[in-house]
Amino acid sequence: MADGTNNDPRLAVEISGIRFNNPVIGASGTFGYGLEFADLIDLNRLGGFATKGLSARPLPGNPPPRIVETHGGMLNAIGLQNIGARAFVEEKLPLLARYDTRIIANVFGYSDDEYIEAITILNDGDGIAAYELNISCPNVKEGGIVIGNSPTAAARLTEKAKLASSRPLIVKLSPNVTDIAILARAIVDAGADCISLINTIVGMSIDVNTRKPRLSYGTGGLSGPAIRPIAVRMVHEVARAVDVPLIGIGGIASAADALEFIIAGATAIQIGTANYYDPTVTMKVIDGLTAHCESHHIATIKGLIGSLE
Amino acid sequence: MIETIATADSNRELAPGYRLLTLDLKEDVPVRAGQFAMLKPHASLEPLLRRALAVYRVHSPRRISFLYQVLGRGTEALARVENGGAVEALLPLGNSWPDAIGANQRVIVVAGGIGSASVFMLCEKLASTGVDTQLLFGARSEPTAIGCGLEDFRALGLPLTLTTDDGSLGEQGFVTGALERELLRSGRPRSTIYACGPWVMMKRVAEIAVQFEARCFVSLEAPMGCGFGVCVGCVVAVKTRGTNEYGSYKRVCTDGSIFPAESIRWEVDPIAH
Ligand SMILES: Cc1cc2nc3c(=O)[nH]c(=O)nc-3n(C[C@H](O)[C@H](O)[C@H](O)COP(=O)(O)OP(=O)(O)OC[C@H]3O[C@@H](n4cnc5c(N)ncnc54)[C@H](O)[C@@H]3O)c2cc1C
Ligand SMILES: Cc1cc2nc3c(=O)[nH]c(=O)nc-3n(C[C@H](O)[C@H](O)[C@H](O)COP(=O)(O)O)c2cc1C
Ligand code: FES
Repeated sequence: MADGTNNDPRLAVEISGIRFNNPVIGASGTFGYGLEFADLIDLNRLGGFATKGLSARPLPGNPPPRIVETHGGMLNAIGLQNIGARAFVEEKLPLLARYDTRIIANVFGYSDDEYIEAITILNDGDGIAAYELNISCPNVKEGGIVIGNSPTAAARLTEKAKLASSRPLIVKLSPNVTDIAILARAIVDAGADCISLINTIVGMSIDVNTRKPRLSYGTGGLSGPAIRPIAVRMVHEVARAVDVPLIGIGGIASAADALEFIIAGATAIQIGTANYYDPTVTMKVIDGLTAHCESHHIATIKGLIGSLE
Repeated sequence: MIETIATADSNRELAPGYRLLTLDLKEDVPVRAGQFAMLKPHASLEPLLRRALAVYRVHSPRRISFLYQVLGRGTEALARVENGGAVEALLPLGNSWPDAIGANQRVIVVAGGIGSASVFMLCEKLASTGVDTQLLFGARSEPTAIGCGLEDFRALGLPLTLTTDDGSLGEQGFVTGALERELLRSGRPRSTIYACGPWVMMKRVAEIAVQFEARCFVSLEAPMGCGFGVCVGCVVAVKTRGTNEYGSYKRVCTDGSIFPAESIRWEVDPIAH
């Protein structure tokens, strides 16, 4: 297993010239810096993973409590705590070099300039396959979702990021908008190579005894199986609106879940919250996709992308 | 750290609302005193997230027990696991209790409620190595003391002071009162305090430790998403800034769960808010 020789060629997919051994990618914020999983799964078998959102400078994040479980999901208000782009390049990338998996650097800033600064730092790093612009984090008061809510602001940042970037640019959309297709079109027109969706949905949970929000930040981002149907619908809508490859995200925990997104129009998928309650879920989904190809006589999973009848 | 599906060998009630779950593992798992596991019934999605439980006892490298209080969704789901049932487990996790140091080692272990689960293996070790140890055991009432493993602790033969909030067993009052009296009585310089219990209790233990110039280690709780360091959901606020990659917060699951008491910013409670 360890040498990656059992990669099934039927599962290979491509996004903006980057080949992924399979469409299974660990989602940002749920996969740390990848290394945390080295003892639990075979990183060489993983299609890829997106790092925790990296900013130009380290961020401390929000005060606890930061997570609360809800039915079929969880709310989080981590607030983008991260080690910073420089530390990622210097401390984590060299350790990741020995694994054969695609590394997507997820990027965050409080302003356009901070996003560009982070990308400029990351341009120095070896072994990053692509950038994923997080314009959709609901747990910070500036940047993130503020940009992600406005097609004009999102397009402006995409254009600047594309210019600054030495690598393919994925833009990650927020579901907390009225019409996600409008946003997707604006971002693709501005030069995005790929779109990933969805980020978490703004939610709230209240402790009825104290009559206070359960999260110190007040609201949080909902993730997990509870959001999957919303995410599938949005991938379907965006697939009809734009021509770039899509990465589907939201509540995926099995091969069947992943296939829903692929059939709806996603080229690859990311697995988030499921990694917490089942740290080996990515391997199970890869195995499940292989089994599906087997039993349905599918020559390549690419044939299933956007195959909704 | 291994990810495994274990078999429940027994899951019995010790007292109303308190249970002991014994798991058989498929492989040897070395566990140090103070470490924990992330557990949930196999193939169940209610609740979604696993719950952290301290390893209470190691019977053999493949057979371990957990002592837990049935509080909410996670522990209720665990309580429904039948003998022979399958439990998803990630373990061992977290750091462990550091050794007491110095010549005249003196140790005080403070167990508050179900926090007892985290210190049982430590007490076993202290009992077997003959270190001068006082065990202070606090519970709400007689049944909860039984539920928190009182009989197992008694069997270790360590000097034990028992307090209950309602006075139904042992001295009436909080275990922190017993700690103050113990430190006053023995004027224990160079004592090491090990404590596990609810946040308010630990906060008080930390204050007492400062007052009596004792070294103090606490095992903390925080809501956990993953248990192995990736979600950054379980943080506590620490005083030391910039000494680790996460700045002013530390993760209970991988930086702890055991911390030097003086490193914690006790005014930021990670559970009740
Ligand atoms: C490192 C570590 C070790 C632990 N070891 C043990 C152990 O050995 N035995 C044990 O019984 N528990 C232990 N816990 C706590 C346990 O993981 C659960 O958080 C707790 O049992 C509540 O889970 P639940 O799903 O039953 O309740 P939930 O449904 O999550 O919550 C039910 C109610 O309990 C409250 N609550 C939640 N968590 C706590 C808490 N930690 N303390 C007080 N109130 C809480 C909630 O606010 C809510 O009102 C440990 C926690 C950590 C982090
Ligand atoms: C605790 C937590 C932290 C997250 N942090 C980030 C982040 O830093 N950047 C980002 O783009 N998305 C972040 N996300 C969003 C996930 O990448 C993903 O889009 C979302 O959780 C939906 O997928 P899921 O339902 O499979 O979890 C985070 C999600 C969680 C649960
Ligand atoms: S529980 Fe996820 S980082 Fe600690």
